[in-house]
Amino acid sequence: MSQTMIKHEIPRKEFLSPGHLACPGCGGSIAMRTVLKGLGEDTMVVLPACCWSIIAGPWPQSSLKVPLYHTAFETGGAVASGIKAALEVRGNHETTVMAWAGDGGTFDIGLQALSGAAERNEDIIYCCYDNEAYMNTGVQRSSSTPAGAWTTTTPSDHPESHPKKDILSIIAAHRVPYAATASVAYPQDLLQKVRRAKSIRGTKFIHILSPCPPGWKHPDESTVDLARQAVQSRLFPLVEVENGQTWRFTMDHEGYPIAPYIKAQGRFRQLSNQQIEDIQQQINERWTVWENRVKYGT
Amino acid sequence: MKQTTRYGPPRVASSTTSTVANQTGSWKYIRPFYQDKIAPCNAACPVGIDIEAYIALIREGRWQGARELLLQENPLPAITGRVCDHPCEQACNRSQFDAAVSIHAVERVIGDMILQTPPARANSTSTHTIAVVGSGPAGLACAYHLVKLGHDVIVIEAAAEPGGMLRLGIPEFRLPRRILDQQIEWLEALGVCFRTNTELGTDIAWEDLSKFDAVFLATGAHSGRMIGIDEEDGPTFMSGLDFLKAVNVGQRPSIGREILVIGGGNTAIDCARTVLRLGADPLVVYRRTRNEMPAIEQEIREAESEGVRFQFLSAPVSVRHGESGTRGLNCIRMELGPVDASGRRRPVPVTGSEFTIASDTIIKAIGETSQLDYLPVALEREGTSLIVGGLGETNIHTVFAGGDMTEDTRSVAFALGAGKRGAIGIDRLLRPGRRQPDELAVEQLKFADGNVSMARWMSSDPVARAAPVNRVVSFDELNVNHFRHLARNEDRTTMMEENQGSFQEVNPGLTSEDAITEAGRCFNCGVCNGCELCLILCPDIAISRGTGEERFIIDMAHCKGCGICVEECPRGAMAMTREGL
Ligand SMILES: Cc1cc2nc3c(=O)[nH]c(=O)nc-3n(C[C@H](O)[C@H](O)[C@H](O)COP(=O)(O)OP(=O)(O)OC[C@H]3O[C@@H](n4cnc5c(N)ncnc54)[C@H](O)[C@@H]3O)c2cc1C
Ligand SMILES: Cc1ncc(C[n+]2csc(CCOP(=O)(O)OP(=O)(O)O)c2C)c(N)n1
Ligand code: SF4
Ligand SMILES: [Mg+2]
Repeated sequence: MSQTMIKHEIPRKEFLSPGHLACPGCGGSIAMRTVLKGLGEDTMVVLPACCWSIIAGPWPQSSLKVPLYHTAFETGGAVASGIKAALEVRGNHETTVMAWAGDGGTFDIGLQALSGAAERNEDIIYCCYDNEAYMNTGVQRSSSTPAGAWTTTTPSDHPESHPKKDILSIIAAHRVPYAATASVAYPQDLLQKVRRAKSIRGTKFIHILSPCPPGWKHPDESTVDLARQAVQSRLFPLVEVENGQTWRFTMDHEGYPIAPYIKAQGRFRQLSNQQIEDIQQQINERWTVWENRVKYGT
Repeated sequence: MKQTTRYGPPRVASSTTSTVANQTGSWKYIRPFYQDKIAPCNAACPVGIDIEAYIALIREGRWQGARELLLQENPLPAITGRVCDHPCEQACNRSQFDAAVSIHAVERVIGDMILQTPPARANSTSTHTIAVVGSGPAGLACAYHLVKLGHDVIVIEAAAEPGGMLRLGIPEFRLPRRILDQQIEWLEALGVCFRTNTELGTDIAWEDLSKFDAVFLATGAHSGRMIGIDEEDGPTFMSGLDFLKAVNVGQRPSIGREILVIGGGNTAIDCARTVLRLGADPLVVYRRTRNEMPAIEQEIREAESEGVRFQFLSAPVSVRHGESGTRGLNCIRMELGPVDASGRRRPVPVTGSEFTIASDTIIKAIGETSQLDYLPVALEREGTSLIVGGLGETNIHTVFAGGDMTEDTRSVAFALGAGKRGAIGIDRLLRPGRRQPDELAVEQLKFADGNVSMARWMSSDPVARAAPVNRVVSFDELNVNHFRHLARNEDRTTMMEENQGSFQEVNPGLTSEDAITEAGRCFNCGVCNGCELCLILCPDIAISRGTGEERFIIDMAHCKGCGICVEECPRGAMAMTREGL
């Protein structure tokens, strides 16, 4: 059939409750909802400070139907390692421990703890839902913010000047058994990656692009569309890498022009057509790098 | 002092309830809802078929339901599946994505399936008897729908057998007589009575019809038009329709070797292809270009591939008589001038460009007009067409009409659509109270601006519709990101060599497997097919499966109105509205 009927591939059981406190159209909520469907009931979530600390609800509420441990901003990797160790000590080798952190908590302040866990090859899944800035505290730039973007700390006359950090390569360089990118526009792809991750022992890393309407300044309803355009334009290719060596695309990337993606977001409003053209150029060059990785593993 | 160490859970705050109690839905100022719209094919179909719905049923393997849905609107799917020029496919949104769904091929497969089993006799529930005059598609459709609506019907037909142009005009190699015969038997089994060899005006008088409660006129257009040159009535010329009628009843008129066919419509192309099959060599002479030809595109293509030759931008001037009695046609070259009333560029003669084409027979196929002399003068007409209203009403209370004698567009599908309108008009007259008789009600019976729906007239639409709006859903309202490209299952046309001298059907249609695959290409524009993307992509888990009529339920206490469901719906079957409306 011409429409892929993904309903047959998505588990029906929900582990996220309505009434959570995310903004309308939050990509991070779709990400969590989908990931938990892949992990199932026997899961513990470790949550360093981020938007999700709010989305999870104020005490005595929790929007997750699995145990969730709030922790300090920089500690995702370490606390997940500790909880996993505690479970092991108690003879529980089954429960999946997942750290769930924002891009700030992953690319910036949490990088050391994550790197430590990855280097020790702790048996955890580390998911970064990436909204490309510190959204919970009101849109400050992170090292995930793409060049050209407005944030409150990179105002429109001095927009972000550094390219987005290549976190996947950093993690892959730790030779962890499994690392992947994903997008909330492709729930079945995300699910498959979550299931892969769950089936492997050691550190697994999933980097999920999660558009944020208030932070990116796009209409609420465009979240999934932008998450899809990011992939189809090859800005954010969907890949997975095993043992830091074997790279694979998990999707056909059409190579649509990047301009519609940029123009749909208020955070890029200050960019000239020439600057958008430059971004397109960088994507094209970067694509060769991706292709070579998939082809030659470098 | 003794120090006691106490192990156990650390003293941290633990949550005990979920967030469900939070009425986060109160944040929204707009909200989504399910809203069925009209697929473009449905609105473009002159018959008025719920194409989208029956194709959806086929995809689900629910053949019985698909048959019933199709039959509710179209009595002759095996025939339209073969000869209709399928404007539905022109309108198909999928044509803007890869290629239109081959709707006619799917229809044909179900049409043939339907003919395999005779229908149950319709229950006669009314005390009324209606006369239908003419048994072409318009008359057949009207009779069929009236019988299904419970009335008694007699179809009066001048020819020896029912079918109208389906039998007399359209050649065997496009519409096998076997199919037509089965179709007529099928209608008889349902309860349609035919009185053939009975011509109104000759065998029976107009006054004789007064014993019927209503009359539906559908006598078509059978008089050949005149070119306007000398000797047109003479033996050099043959009427295209007469030629086809003769061949269609089994005669093989001797026509010689070089045959000119004048015209560019279906009759002209059918004549040329028939000539070819009689072993002669046809040349079609047409005064405009291929682009302006009114014949069905696929027919022109098939004719070309069979070896029919064309002489475009040429018009006949006079008959040429050679010394040894050889005949030919003197023609003049034309060029296309400004656009005329038909919307096509008018051909104008190029002075001094006369030329001659040799020929044994000249077949004149420049179109037909209707002959209304046998009707009372009191019936209002414009030129050679009867004037009718939205449900086939003429100016005489109990007289209705439709088909080629009333329509500008002459096709089987338009005739079938007119027959249905007439049946509803007559039912409304004879059984007031089934529905509101006002004009607004008639508008509401239509698929957007297309033809009327019998399902709506009967209030028996089997599809549960969510807040339906009677408007066509455009390509831009779809989200085609959710579809994959898939090649269209094209008709299989037999090769030219095999067609020579054979009246075998040229197009064998699709296999039922291919028809199912083809049905799977349908987008289901405007109508929810339960794909659940709305439910899957909702950030607020606010959409759940419904029970019974409602496919989905939106939990308004938690929907924040982000609109992702509406944006992502592949088929434009959702919409947003202001909160409180
Ligand atoms: C050669 C040819 C090929 C065509 N090909 C196609 C095609 O491929 N696709 C398409 O969609 N359309 C095609 N058409 C057009 C199509 O056939 C007509 O538009 C359609 O048949 C009209 O239906 P109708 O019921 O109005 O009239 P008709 O089909 O003409 O039927 C009228 C009937 O009334 C009978 N009748 C006439 N006068 C009287 C009387 N006084 N008393 C009793 N009975 C009478 C006639 O004998 C005839 O049976 C073609 C037409 C021709 C001529
Ligand atoms: C050590 C420390 N510094 C600062 C903060 C304040 N803080 C809480 S969440 C947050 C931003 C989180 O950004 P990110 O990880 O990208 O997640 P997001 O909110 O964007 O989802 C900050 C700066 C903190 N909690 N702890
Ligand atoms: S700020 Fe962005 S990431 Fe945070 S809850 Fe709102 S939409 Fe989600
Ligand atoms: Mg962030």
